Amino acid sequence: MPALPAPNVHDGSEMTSFSGLKPLAMILPGLFLAMFIIGYPVADLAYTSLQEVSRFGKLQGFAGFANFAEVFSDPLFWSSLYRTAIWTVCVVAGTLLLSLPIAIMLNEDFYGRGLARVIIMLPWAISLTMTAVVWRWTLNGRSGLLNATLMDVGIIAEPIEWLAEAQLAFTVEILVGILVSIPFTTTIFLGGLSSMPQESYEASMVDGATRWDQFIHITLPLMKPFINIAIVLNVIYVFNSLPIIWVMTEGGPANGTDILVTYLYKLAFRFGQLGKAAAISLIMFGVLLAFTILYVMLVSRGDRQPEEVEEG
Amino acid sequence: MQSKLIRSIVYWVILSPLVVVILFPFGVMFVTAVRPRDELFVFPPTWWFSEFRWGNFAEMWVKTSFGQALLNSVYVSVMSTLLALALSIPAAYALSRYRFPGKGAYRTFLLMTQMMSPIVLVLGLFRLMVALGMVNNLNSLVLTYAAFNMAFTIWMLQSYFNTIPRDLEEAAWIDGATHFSSLIRIFLPLAVPAMAVTGIFSFINAWNEFVLALTMIRSSDDFTLPVQIYSQVAGRYQVEWHHVMAGTVLATVPVAIVFSWLQKYLIRGMALGAVK
Repeated sequence: MPALPAPNVHDGSEMTSFSGLKPLAMILPGLFLAMFIIGYPVADLAYTSLQEVSRFGKLQGFAGFANFAEVFSDPLFWSSLYRTAIWTVCVVAGTLLLSLPIAIMLNEDFYGRGLARVIIMLPWAISLTMTAVVWRWTLNGRSGLLNATLMDVGIIAEPIEWLAEAQLAFTVEILVGILVSIPFTTTIFLGGLSSMPQESYEASMVDGATRWDQFIHITLPLMKPFINIAIVLNVIYVFNSLPIIWVMTEGGPANGTDILVTYLYKLAFRFGQLGKAAAISLIMFGVLLAFTILYVMLVSRGDRQPEEVEEG
Repeated sequence: MQSKLIRSIVYWVILSPLVVVILFPFGVMFVTAVRPRDELFVFPPTWWFSEFRWGNFAEMWVKTSFGQALLNSVYVSVMSTLLALALSIPAAYALSRYRFPGKGAYRTFLLMTQMMSPIVLVLGLFRLMVALGMVNNLNSLVLTYAAFNMAFTIWMLQSYFNTIPRDLEEAAWIDGATHFSSLIRIFLPLAVPAMAVTGIFSFINAWNEFVLALTMIRSSDDFTLPVQIYSQVAGRYQVEWHHVMAGTVLATVPVAIVFSWLQKYLIRGMALGAVK
């Protein structure tokens, strides 16, 4: 990029003599806190997962991989894992399929666009816990206002117990999950769309391309990096998300809506099976790390060009 | 002009199902919050109710000790935001202005901790707080929220700091100002809006956090708002839904308004930094 200014004089003389220890001193306090609050638990989980732990949290000695063996022979672990996969894939796929057209519409000029933006971003502003509490009441099997509405409109004749049966409850939770993930994903896409070169659209218009052609041949390829980032970030967030399922059904009825995080939370704080919970935490940490590394790779790929110029 | 009108109508029609689904729970929240108690569990269920009971809010405030939970939430959110900002501002300044050994590794570390979710570490964090003797202490939340928010605040601040021209500071150095005084007199005043916006988002993150608060805080006197409202719902035979909804209205609406108002800064900060 030729347009960038050459490094100035101060960068050469003062900045370097100055930038030895001082910048390190500026980042260290925060780094210590983060290392401590994040590093200690990781180390502790790794240690605990290899220990035999009593119901009261006392470590009773080295147990090798017994906790992991126990986890892998637990049918509830496998069913939670399976449901975590369904939950993640459905929420992320649903979110992306809805968010891209929404972002494309919000990127264009129409009457009331500002209002539409505020409304669509609204779920982001509210904590997942509160959203889940309100939906739990909305979906109340007897007096919930969703039943009231559907009965008034004549879609159903009898109230439906939305959260009493696992399959239906899980489906509803996935839909709520999609709803709360749309704002963030739409935001990423809006960022991508705002950097689209307008000329290619105009040129393709001259060539007689339809809007569908434009979408397939211009928008989609240019949006690919943003779609990748949206997928990875959403997978990370959704895979880890406890509040919706925890507040709406607590993983019930009969563990029928448990995903790994809710199962892990129950093992740790309800059933006192710390060794097993630590083992699951570590497994999840590994998965999270893998996706995080993928994310870092995606981001640094997108960010390299300007960065290299700036840092020489 | 004609085509814009047609497009507006088409877009609103396409968006309307989503708009309805988003606004629906807000409707439920308000209608339930102002309903007389004996009209909660009517059958068949209906939106209709006989009168606005604004007294529900006052009643809820007293019965659920909402004020205490509000104070706890304010304390935790303010303190964790101040701590995160105090540690992030120098770090973001260093990232934005200096070269130093390990800068690339540090940026990678930030990106990775930004993705780190408390829930995966919750058991280890709990054991850490037991070891520190800080269970049931709001400061355990201050520390953890600050630590988990810091990656985000450093990224946001750094991306805004990059937009503040260096020339101004450099001009001050030429005029004989020390780095420290140029930092205080020239850089910081220009950075105030960025710090305010970042601080508000950090505040909202802390305000909305659930899992750690649920885990670290055991006595109801120390509950933060999300846990306090959750505790009104979970494991109860008889849920006072009008109180719960009045509580969610008070806990969410002010934050939602601030968030909607500042959202464009978040989008800008993300576009500049984290998601590029």
